Amino acid sequence: MAVLSAGFRRDLEIRRYPSLVYGLVPLVALVLQAWLPRILGRFAWFDLPLVVTVYFALGRRSPIQGTLMGASMGLFEDALSHHAIGVNGIAKTVAGFLAASVGVRIDVENFTVRLLLIFLLSLVASVTYAFVTRFLLGMELEWSWLTELFKAFGNSAIAILTFPLLDRLQIRD
Amino acid sequence: MESFFVRYRNLVVLLAVLLAQIIGLAVQVRRIGEGRSTLDPGDGPGVRLIRLWANALVSPAEQAIHNSKLGASGLWQNYIDLRHVREQNQDLQKTIDRLRLEQASLIEDARQGQRLEALTGFQEKYIYKTLAAQVFGSSGSDQSHVFYIDKGASDGLDRDMAVITPDGIVGKVRDVFPHSAQVLAINDPTSGAGVILETTRIRGILRGNTAGEPEIVGILADNRIQAGEKVLTAGGDQIFPRGLQVGKVERVGRDPLRDGFIIITVEAAAHLDRLDEVLVVTSTEPRFAPVDQQEIATSEALKGPEAAAIHDQQIKDQQKAAAVMAEHLPGLIDPNLPADQQPLHDSSNPNPVTNPPKALHPDRFTPGAADGSTGTDAAPQPAPITTPDNKHPGKISSTFKPDAKPSASAAAPATGKAVHPSAAPRRNP
Repeated sequence: MAVLSAGFRRDLEIRRYPSLVYGLVPLVALVLQAWLPRILGRFAWFDLPLVVTVYFALGRRSPIQGTLMGASMGLFEDALSHHAIGVNGIAKTVAGFLAASVGVRIDVENFTVRLLLIFLLSLVASVTYAFVTRFLLGMELEWSWLTELFKAFGNSAIAILTFPLLDRLQIRD
Repeated sequence: MESFFVRYRNLVVLLAVLLAQIIGLAVQVRRIGEGRSTLDPGDGPGVRLIRLWANALVSPAEQAIHNSKLGASGLWQNYIDLRHVREQNQDLQKTIDRLRLEQASLIEDARQGQRLEALTGFQEKYIYKTLAAQVFGSSGSDQSHVFYIDKGASDGLDRDMAVITPDGIVGKVRDVFPHSAQVLAINDPTSGAGVILETTRIRGILRGNTAGEPEIVGILADNRIQAGEKVLTAGGDQIFPRGLQVGKVERVGRDPLRDGFIIITVEAAAHLDRLDEVLVVTSTEPRFAPVDQQEIATSEALKGPEAAAIHDQQIKDQQKAAAVMAEHLPGLIDPNLPADQQPLHDSSNPNPVTNPPKALHPDRFTPGAADGSTGTDAAPQPAPITTPDNKHPGKISSTFKPDAKPSASAAAPATGKAVHPSAAPRRNP
């Protein structure tokens, strides 16, 4: 239980990255998220902006930064669609805040914990999206738990590939 | 107070960001009914600015990736993978020959249709000018069926222009940016297009459902509608020209929201999830485009005589069929016989012409009593019959009253063909 103890929490390091990484990685995620569905069609079960949001929120361990990162990624995603701007923004804001808040309390260096977190936060983001669309806005939405589960699995699979790559970009003392 | 914000600054920031986005959503969404809302079709200035920024940030990179992919696949397809090209070329040549013959055969009908449209004052608009565009990106969300094309305001694109492929319609331009444009596909729930079923001529509105399938709504239940029937654009929406392929009926189901109405799910003719190149209809005119006119002229020059021969043969076949039919049907007037020997007056005729029985209580409405006389002795007089003027079709030239014994000359107009009086056009008294 050492990973969950308060004493261990103080020793957790805050990851730092070059400024270029903060700009380029989210941009690449947004571009690929817009481009890949054309190739994969309806099998595009992933959300790259969410994966990037969670990664940086976990690494930086700052709920404010996680919130702002999630909000900006979500707003850009909304802006590329023809839907109301803010639905994805709210979903990813919540996901970014939760990821950073959890990152403060537990050791997210553990790869399994990271995968579990990205899986759960994907489901949280999907539920938030559906809640905002259906209940806050009163609009129709095609909802399938199976699709959302596949999407959560897809995000976890992408995290397995991308998290180690992104870890290499951090600044080491 | 300061310590409160410092202590809970994370939560305060979270709530502030959420609140700002909720207010932003409230501005964009409009309530349309009990518990139902819709998105405002026109973006406000602030929303449009955010979309413009996002597009300016993402589109150039997307276009670069797309162009790289095109270059690589073009290299493979145009220089390496050229097997069976010769056979394909021959097949295509045969197809072109067949289509040219069809075009030459149909062009007369099209011209006649245009002349009739001119007479009735109706002007159908044809696709006059199109602009080819590459599809390079999507919204990235399975809830938003839009895609991006690499032509924008600088290429003359505007909102609500129709986007099509040779297979069928695809959508309409929803938003225009300087060098790209966002296209709303026909399978999105917020889209709309006027369509007509080809055989039953039933009209409806095409839009997408939440599962991303195009469907026709606003149609009363009709058991004539069968799966497989073609769906075409109706032309009434001021976006899509009339007669373009939309798809075919996939299935018919009841409308759960409205009793007596049905929903027709349509299988789109265009491959909406595999679009690479589309055509944007930038101009429609009541005449054929110069390219089409050139094509028609070429087809007429190459296949005109052949098409005329086929047309003549069809007419001959029809005439022959009519003659065979006439031989098997009994006639009441034979143009080769004198008037008193016509089969009309033959007592052995199994279906003789009979006058209506006399009225028991004649009044002013009784035939032959139009002048008000109600004499019971008055023989019923048939209504005046008019003959058409052969020189001016549609104009009535003369009026006559048939005698008790109709003569062949009176019954026959100037063409020399025998016509039964009842077959002649009548004018209301």
